[in-house]
Amino acid sequence: MPSSCAVSTVRVAPHEAGPEPRTGAQMMAANPYRPWPARITSITDLTATEKLFEFRLIDERIRDAFSHEPGQFVELSIFGVGEAPISISSSPTKRGFIELTVRRAGTFTEVLHTMQCGDIVGLRGPFGRGFPVDEMRGHDILLVAGGLGIAPLRSLINNIHDERSEFGKVTIIYGSRNPSEVMFRQQFEMWRHRKDFDLHLTVDHPDDTWDGEVGVVTKPFEHLEIDASNTYGALCGPPVMYRFAIDEMRKKNISYDRIYVSFERHMKCGMGKCGHCQIGHQYVCIDGPVFNYWEAKNIQGSM
Amino acid sequence: MLYRVIDAVELPALVSAFMESYEVVAPVKRGGSHVFEVIQSPDDMDLSYATTIASPKKYFLPPVETLMTFDAQDNGVTDYAAEITPRVVFGAHACDINALNRLDLVFRDGRYPDPYYVARRAATLVVGVSCMPADTCFCHLWDGDEARFGYDLFLHAIGDKYLVSIASVEAANILEAACNPRVATDADRIEFRHATRRRQAAFNPDIPDIQDVAMLMDAFHSDPFWEELGGRCLACTACSAVCPTCFCFDIQDALDPDGSTGRRERVWDACTSPQFAEVAGGHNFRADGRGRVRHRMYHKLNGFLANHDRMLCVGCGRCVKACKADINPIRVLEFFEGKGADDAQ
Repeated sequence: MPSSCAVSTVRVAPHEAGPEPRTGAQMMAANPYRPWPARITSITDLTATEKLFEFRLIDERIRDAFSHEPGQFVELSIFGVGEAPISISSSPTKRGFIELTVRRAGTFTEVLHTMQCGDIVGLRGPFGRGFPVDEMRGHDILLVAGGLGIAPLRSLINNIHDERSEFGKVTIIYGSRNPSEVMFRQQFEMWRHRKDFDLHLTVDHPDDTWDGEVGVVTKPFEHLEIDASNTYGALCGPPVMYRFAIDEMRKKNISYDRIYVSFERHMKCGMGKCGHCQIGHQYVCIDGPVFNYWEAKNIQGSM
Repeated sequence: MLYRVIDAVELPALVSAFMESYEVVAPVKRGGSHVFEVIQSPDDMDLSYATTIASPKKYFLPPVETLMTFDAQDNGVTDYAAEITPRVVFGAHACDINALNRLDLVFRDGRYPDPYYVARRAATLVVGVSCMPADTCFCHLWDGDEARFGYDLFLHAIGDKYLVSIASVEAANILEAACNPRVATDADRIEFRHATRRRQAAFNPDIPDIQDVAMLMDAFHSDPFWEELGGRCLACTACSAVCPTCFCFDIQDALDPDGSTGRRERVWDACTSPQFAEVAGGHNFRADGRGRVRHRMYHKLNGFLANHDRMLCVGCGRCVKACKADINPIRVLEFFEGKGADDAQ
């Protein structure tokens, strides 16, 4: 027999690496491809095609180790169907639970939309670079969301809400195509008369129920008074919205590096390896998904 | 680095010694070409090759690799223990070792070490061997005609001897046990210098050296050239299959026939595949060949450089042979050489 057949194999078990007892962070780092079981604890219908799912990681060590910043995402698993990157919609101030806004847009999300409270999924993450919340503290904030772009921005909005005194003037512009597509409508309706949020809900095509603003997301900019030297902008929405909304922010003289945008790509690994989310030289999964406009301008093919 | 000299006739003994403790992978003649394959005897190996059809990257990143097993009924994950065979990749050229060093940057040294790659890399010895370039080789343009690290032994052919760079204790022990390594003489060193010069003089002079290719790519990002080059891409993805530095992958779930259990697998993927940059809902960020081929060339010659200070191309020339549509980095270099000439007129 050839001698090569006598070679014994080496067992590699990433989950066994490291000494016991192990922290949640060590368990996650041992094999960052491994999803951790999480239970669906709440499902809220937002629109005809979007639902808000709330999850709780089952292993207490993983749950304690999980912390995120607004703008980051997780990889959500349904075994046998696959995995999908989804931005986190809940605020880091909400501990122990993770909320994801999911649009029914493909096979994976079709299946997720059929799931019930109590069902188990897999979660790994969080991944990516979020909004620079610490840097934003003490400043005025201008948030612009279009359509599903509200999903990651809601994390930032709720974070600001929970720590409201740490931020200056807060303006929220949220545009939808029509009233039935407005997400978190109840929450925003409640905020309409608050003095500490300047809220502009706007739709392109109003119906009889709509008594809010009408027009694209750039319309409210006409009457906006902004202290550019003290303002951070944060945007998320469909690709076509970026150029116009950024133009408006630049017209208000907000600095290139204080306008933050979040990009949507298909992050399959979340760790700067698989290549699917690459734009130019950047990996959206680790270098983003949140970039400031200066960085975004310097990525070939970003906009 | 420690250097010793062995005779070329001692090579079979060295290979045999490795075969006692490792599976040995080496270049084997197949038709008119060479491939990396597991060998059963030192006689199977043929080191007189310029380039193999595909690189030995599959021994570090298998085309299909199980990441974990699962139970689809209750969405339970079963932790997966990979069985990895201790291996020697024998007879790799400098380009392929330099390619491995680039994979290390992504899969071993970054913020998220990849446990599967790290284990394979650690369980694999690499024995390099010097070479003479084929007319499709351009490793020297990217400073890649020498491997400075990333191997256990490197055999520099000097006449009927090898000057051996010894980089690991594990390999040094086997070399000492199997061969009669001796201190290099002045004559050996002179012969090494001559051999290096001969290699440097043998590169195809028609392949232009464009030092500022990365910057030029930014400047000519919208040039019609990319439509010309990418428009003829057949999306066969042969380029990335043979490429020693292409590492993109997909993650897929494979269900067992009973439909209740299965495996999550990592499968090679390619940015020249039409669906590669598609997102949920169907929008494709690189919907045409122009965008995809340009992206691939940018990642190779511009983007990786920006992030890691070196090209993600080692100039092995495999894609030059594999691409049926004549798309390769040499065409990019030629385009920029032409641009310079046009502008000068």
